[in-house]
Amino acid sequence: MHEPATSETTMVSVAETADTSVVAAAVSIRGVSKSFDGTEVLRDVSMEVAPGEVVSILGSSGSGKSTLLRCINWLETPDRGEIHIAGDRIGMSDTGKPMSRRELAGMRSRLGMVFQSFNLWPHLSVLRNVTEAPIHVQGCSKAEAGERAMALLEKVGMAHKCDAFPYTLSGGQKQRVAIARALAMQPKVMLFDEPTSALDPELVGEVLAVIKDLSKEGYTMVIVTHEMEFARAVSDQVVFLDKGIIIEKSPPEEFFVTPKTDRVRRFLELEAPTA
Amino acid sequence: MDSSAWGMLMQGAWTTAWISATSIAIGVVLGLLVALVRLARIPVVHQVLGLYISIARATPLVTLVLFIFLTAPTMGIHLNRNVAGILALTLNTTAFNAEIWRSAFNNFSKEQREAAMAIGMTPWIYFRRIMLPQITITSLPGLVNEMSFLIKGSPAIAVIGIVDLTRVTNRISAVTYDPLPPILAAAVIYMGIISLLVWLQRIAERKANRLAV
Amino acid sequence: MSNWEILWDSRGVFLNGFYTTLQLFGMSAVLAFLAGCGIVFLLEGSRPRLRVPLRIFIDGMRMLPFLILAYLLYYGLPSTGIRLSAWQAGMIALVSYHGAYFAEILRGCRLTLPAGQVEAAIAQGFSMPGMYLRIVLPQLVLSARALIGNQLIILLKDTAFLVIITVRELTAAANSLSSTYFIPMEAFIVVIGFYWLISIGLEQGIKIIGRFGAKRGFNNA
Repeated sequence: MHEPATSETTMVSVAETADTSVVAAAVSIRGVSKSFDGTEVLRDVSMEVAPGEVVSILGSSGSGKSTLLRCINWLETPDRGEIHIAGDRIGMSDTGKPMSRRELAGMRSRLGMVFQSFNLWPHLSVLRNVTEAPIHVQGCSKAEAGERAMALLEKVGMAHKCDAFPYTLSGGQKQRVAIARALAMQPKVMLFDEPTSALDPELVGEVLAVIKDLSKEGYTMVIVTHEMEFARAVSDQVVFLDKGIIIEKSPPEEFFVTPKTDRVRRFLELEAPTA
Repeated sequence: MDSSAWGMLMQGAWTTAWISATSIAIGVVLGLLVALVRLARIPVVHQVLGLYISIARATPLVTLVLFIFLTAPTMGIHLNRNVAGILALTLNTTAFNAEIWRSAFNNFSKEQREAAMAIGMTPWIYFRRIMLPQITITSLPGLVNEMSFLIKGSPAIAVIGIVDLTRVTNRISAVTYDPLPPILAAAVIYMGIISLLVWLQRIAERKANRLAV
Repeated sequence: MSNWEILWDSRGVFLNGFYTTLQLFGMSAVLAFLAGCGIVFLLEGSRPRLRVPLRIFIDGMRMLPFLILAYLLYYGLPSTGIRLSAWQAGMIALVSYHGAYFAEILRGCRLTLPAGQVEAAIAQGFSMPGMYLRIVLPQLVLSARALIGNQLIILLKDTAFLVIITVRELTAAANSLSSTYFIPMEAFIVVIGFYWLISIGLEQGIKIIGRFGAKRGFNNA
């Protein structure tokens, strides 16, 4: 965009690009509240994730961190508040009506989600797990989806298992395939919901290494985790959630070294005495 | 439908009930015997019973009823319709019951045998007092389920002219010229009988589950 | 001429009956299975609109003998002005009756499917039909294969009931041959043999799906 604009159309498009880049955070959460059976799990939560930023959400169990993550792709419907993905509101159309299933599916395909329990589809091979949504949701050709999938499986170190079925894999391998599956949709944002909580301790490292690599490649990521060392190493921002309220948001060095609140200090002493 | 039509319907229901009940009673006991003999794995007998079960499970009841009723006279046996009907239903349900009993035996824990022998029980007392009561409870849900299937299959006996709850609707409509009401009434009676069995099955399942814990 | 030779000479009657039975069985099996899949799809989601009527339909069918349904359609419906041929009535009865049973089998299996699998599909942007068709249904079929096989055999046997409402199927063929030539034993042995063979074929088919499932870690349900 260094060349001077020579025609009107170029000028318009430059203006538009400039405009959205100013406005659109990758994820913008505004005033989100959510209750289950009368218990408030999220209370008026607001936060932003800039493009390319890695944000970790920490908090003790029951603090609402998983619910917050699941609200981002509307797996949970917030009672109040708005969530925007790269400037577009998810869940509600501009007129304030709930989105149609089709519109919602379109929004969701811009978000990659990695679950605690992997949720691979057992009847499909590793490769088909990765290509299924690109082919049948995005309408990619089989060849293109297959090529993309193999590249991603290579990236997570699972290319050699492309013809295996999920039940033959270890938990760490399953989770790496699940990460490749989420990446295959070329999402704008990756969401990780406690990606290592269901893994045996010796398998945690391989999954965290893959996520760390992704953070270096400039992916926008929101990660709910219990791994303090990991959060410290990969995050640009750490968000601490307690009883449904964000009580701290700061860069990791600040968060782990000089926490602002007693609550976080106590949490860190319990969870990561060495950190 | 007038009172005589209802009377006929009730007679049909009674026919279905007693023929089915007789076949169920014989079929449950015979099924247990077949299962026990199969567990003994006596050469030839084992294979013959296996073949019987395989064929009986694949043969439609209607076909079996006709086969028995039409074939018996050619061998010089004169079967009353009701006996032919009971025979067919029994041959059918025994095969299914034998498999239900057999799987209960196969799933029975072997450790209890050692405990029984250790306190000096004879094999017969062990079978009669320890094994059979438990196996009856675990088999019961399956057996009751098979009873529902037998009731649902019982209209097959209409094909040889037994006036059961299904066939009686033809008789009634021959008089009233309106087949719909008796058929609907018969359907409701069947639903009553089967929902009773489904209810019993649920109770049996609860009992069986308690045993499993 | 021996009884078996008489049968051989009238093999055309058998073959016609065999053909009619296979036709009834094949068409109704496919349609009933699709109906079952369709019903379970309509029951997807947290608050399916048709839940109550579908439940009543499924439970109602499961409490009726098949023949009384066939009676209702063939003898009962003409009272309301709808007149079906025996074949049509039989076909509709087979499809609706066994459709309800297939629906119940698949529904029971659907309850045991981990919720996360469906969530993963939704998170990847699958539409409801796409998710059901590609993620849910294949797994239901793989894990319920034994029950589906059983139901197919019951369906095959239920086609024989239709002889009572005058459909000219396989059992009807044996019945008419045995009364024409008075050779019931031979005629019925052949027919029972036919049913047995189809059942064994079905069981083999289920075993093949079983190998397909075992490769994916689906053990016998």
